[in-house]
Amino acid sequence: MTRISRRIFLETAAAAAGGFIVYFHSAERTDDAATPFRPNGYVRIDPDGTITVWAKNPDMGQGIKTTLAMMIAEELDADWSRVRVEQAETDRALYGGQGAGGSDGTSSDGPLGQKAGAVARAMLIAAAAGRWNVDASECETARGVVHHRASNRSAAYGELAAAAAAVPIPQDVPLKDPARYTIIGKATRGVDTTKVVTGRPIFGLDVHVPGMLYAVIDKCPVHGGRPVTVDDRAARAVPGVVRVVTVEGHENPTFLRPGVAVVASSTWAAMKGRDALRVSWDEGPGALESSETLAAQFRARAGTAGKILADRGDVDAAFREARTKVDAVYEAPFLAHATLEPQNCVAHVRGDRCEVWGPLQMPTSGTDVVAKVLGIPRENVTIHVTRIGGGFGRRLMSDFAAEAAVISRAAGAPVQVVWTREDDLRHDYYRPAGYHHVRAGLDADGGLAVWHHHLITTSRNSYRRGPNPEDTETYGLLAPVNPDPKKQFAYDFQPTLIRNCRVEYTEALTSVPTGAWRAPSHNFNAFVIECVLDELAHAAKIDPVALRLSYYGRRSDFPYEGDDATPFDPARLKGVLQMAVDKAGWHKPTSRGIGRGLAVHFTFGSYAAEVAEVSVDSGNRLRVHRVVAAVDVGRAVNPLNIEAQTQGGIIDGLSAALFGEIDIARGRTRQSTFEDYQLLRNRDAPEIDVHIIPSHERPTGFGEIALPPLAPAIANAIFSATGKRIRRLPLKAAGISV
Amino acid sequence: MAIAVSFRMASFQLSVNGQSRPVTAAPDVPLLWVLRDTLGLRGTKFGCGRGICGACTVHVDGAAMRSCVTPVGSVAHQTITTIEGLGAGGLHPVQRAWIEEDVPQCGYCQAGQIMMAASLLAVKPHPSDQEILDAMSNNLCRCGTYLRIRRAVKRAAAGGNGQRSER
Repeated sequence: MTRISRRIFLETAAAAAGGFIVYFHSAERTDDAATPFRPNGYVRIDPDGTITVWAKNPDMGQGIKTTLAMMIAEELDADWSRVRVEQAETDRALYGGQGAGGSDGTSSDGPLGQKAGAVARAMLIAAAAGRWNVDASECETARGVVHHRASNRSAAYGELAAAAAAVPIPQDVPLKDPARYTIIGKATRGVDTTKVVTGRPIFGLDVHVPGMLYAVIDKCPVHGGRPVTVDDRAARAVPGVVRVVTVEGHENPTFLRPGVAVVASSTWAAMKGRDALRVSWDEGPGALESSETLAAQFRARAGTAGKILADRGDVDAAFREARTKVDAVYEAPFLAHATLEPQNCVAHVRGDRCEVWGPLQMPTSGTDVVAKVLGIPRENVTIHVTRIGGGFGRRLMSDFAAEAAVISRAAGAPVQVVWTREDDLRHDYYRPAGYHHVRAGLDADGGLAVWHHHLITTSRNSYRRGPNPEDTETYGLLAPVNPDPKKQFAYDFQPTLIRNCRVEYTEALTSVPTGAWRAPSHNFNAFVIECVLDELAHAAKIDPVALRLSYYGRRSDFPYEGDDATPFDPARLKGVLQMAVDKAGWHKPTSRGIGRGLAVHFTFGSYAAEVAEVSVDSGNRLRVHRVVAAVDVGRAVNPLNIEAQTQGGIIDGLSAALFGEIDIARGRTRQSTFEDYQLLRNRDAPEIDVHIIPSHERPTGFGEIALPPLAPAIANAIFSATGKRIRRLPLKAAGISV
Repeated sequence: MAIAVSFRMASFQLSVNGQSRPVTAAPDVPLLWVLRDTLGLRGTKFGCGRGICGACTVHVDGAAMRSCVTPVGSVAHQTITTIEGLGAGGLHPVQRAWIEEDVPQCGYCQAGQIMMAASLLAVKPHPSDQEILDAMSNNLCRCGTYLRIRRAVKRAAAGGNGQRSER
């Protein structure tokens, strides 16, 4: 038998350059022919030829499990049809940080897997060369076989596994010439697709461990409230109910919020037990809040200056002198994530150890959260990541894991926490609501001369107890101001290239929980920017395409070179814009009643442009006839998945633009079901043409980029079709439905 | 708030995926939770608990039903098929089409979508585009896989001969 030792063996040369660390461990040396070859956390080759690769990041539908496996298998030169892909365990020593967020799995973790695959391939070649007594440089690989052409000898990877395990791990292994790629770039189906369509129990809610109990939690309907007294007699009389547990919140409400849990022998019994609970709540100051009080607060705060984040030229004078002016307010509602798999998690606390199974988007930080709420060392927390039934930013929080952990400890048994849909919609960490006051203008030549943007939001950074409320709110609104080069890529908008530009921020206060929602901040900031540009273009009778192209600047205007960042390149933004307008026939007239609208965006290293064609009938019913999208995500690792994510981002964007709104009454979320928080249905999904820009640039993420341009493209198309300008979402607020 | 909870337990012989399964439960417990918690058939999903999203869709005597709002007592004498039993002895044509078109993103809604599509094709082997939209609009997909769902239903209706090339 082989024992795997945990020797950290090698850090790649790139580690010193900033964060590219591949941790390797090696099998004990042995001559046993049954030895599997596992040179690192990413690859194992069994003597029977089975090749297993591990994807380090959770998959919630963005397809990273497939993408990462393709990148590893490519450098390994494996036969893709024989590769088994597993979800990696949460393991800092093997993988460093694990999670899915910021669309950085492909760009940051893909290269780690590529290096791991390349190292394994080099060791297999060395094993074959040793066996044949030839020079390794004379050997080549293809589809899981090492060949030595001169002597016409071949050996499959499985035959070489035991010998490869004894090869010293090489320090400096070159990656493949992309011209030789056989897996990267090929449309590839998801590695879990068959499991999904046959109903295999692969999601968090499907986890079952022996002796498991089920828990449902009652939370104060008012945001920020907590239980005071609990009468649980009726609840405990419900057959199947085992006990009732009061959950104390953590001082950081993104870790754990207070409530009363009913623990039972079945999900249904737990739900029925909760119905029978009688809890009195301390509602706290949140009870005074409503959508109306928040709107009033926004208006009041817009009347006083905010914190100046960027200031260039003289915006007041420039606005006075501008030939074409827009002075407009744009308003964003709170949004729910509404992952179709409700929040859930299984935890089993035994002594000072905790084992967790669930749909965690951020298993590494989830380990810390569970450790903190239990007061145990993080090394004592083991997290098994399941497939995730939708993320969209909701599961960046690990609150449901913390709940399962504290309830398991109280119950002395493994416990699965289950949220109902009502729990999910009423107690989300919502996309922050916001209010944007923009004054922008064109000079006599039609040039973009001034942009004054006052952003007022309920900051999610404040909610999670972070410093600087504006830090999470300005993505997409500022050109580089962040001293950390790795973060500069998120700050991409070009108002700061405009000779008169001011960006200011004011925080609005709320008790409503807030968090990241797909393309956080970008998802509404892009709406404001792209709609204001459209307003200016129409007011000045300039083609919206030409106006955009006139101010994008050059690559040299963004002079940062972050080690791990993908700097903003205006030429690539122009590329997607050109592709989208060409494919949409932007300059050709539309059919009667149909309006076209355009929007572009850059974030997370990727670029997208979208053209929407819509009509609005006399009953204010919107029909989206077609969306044409062009995306530049660098080298397209899996075009099939990029197409899917682009379609999904567009449909998600349309769903949110039409219906997405959480509103607050007496401190409570009004919406609680898919009847009052609607999602787009199949019949209302538009035709979508996806065009992927061919590129040899480094691959970047694509789970978020297609979403931000959709809503402004639709709103601009509605203006084109009807003359009605949309400055507030959702569209239903303007009486527009489907 | 008045709470009505049925404590009366009853025994059933449920016919699930061609097997007779003894179950003891209150008759008003939704079929969904009997399938998942009692019988361990977790392919049928909980999405909303109100019959709105369709993630819990199963077949009862061949017709699509929302198991989250179907009391187990109401189907005690009927034939229940879940995603696990759809392709008895292999993949159902709808499942094959779903794989061919690589429909799933997160995948959570897809068991319900597939059960919906299979029930449509059982009644209408060659549905029109509008019939596909009407049927498949009963089921929500939060990831937005709707366009591939349409293609997959058409592919399944065409006997698996869709246009998409081999991958």
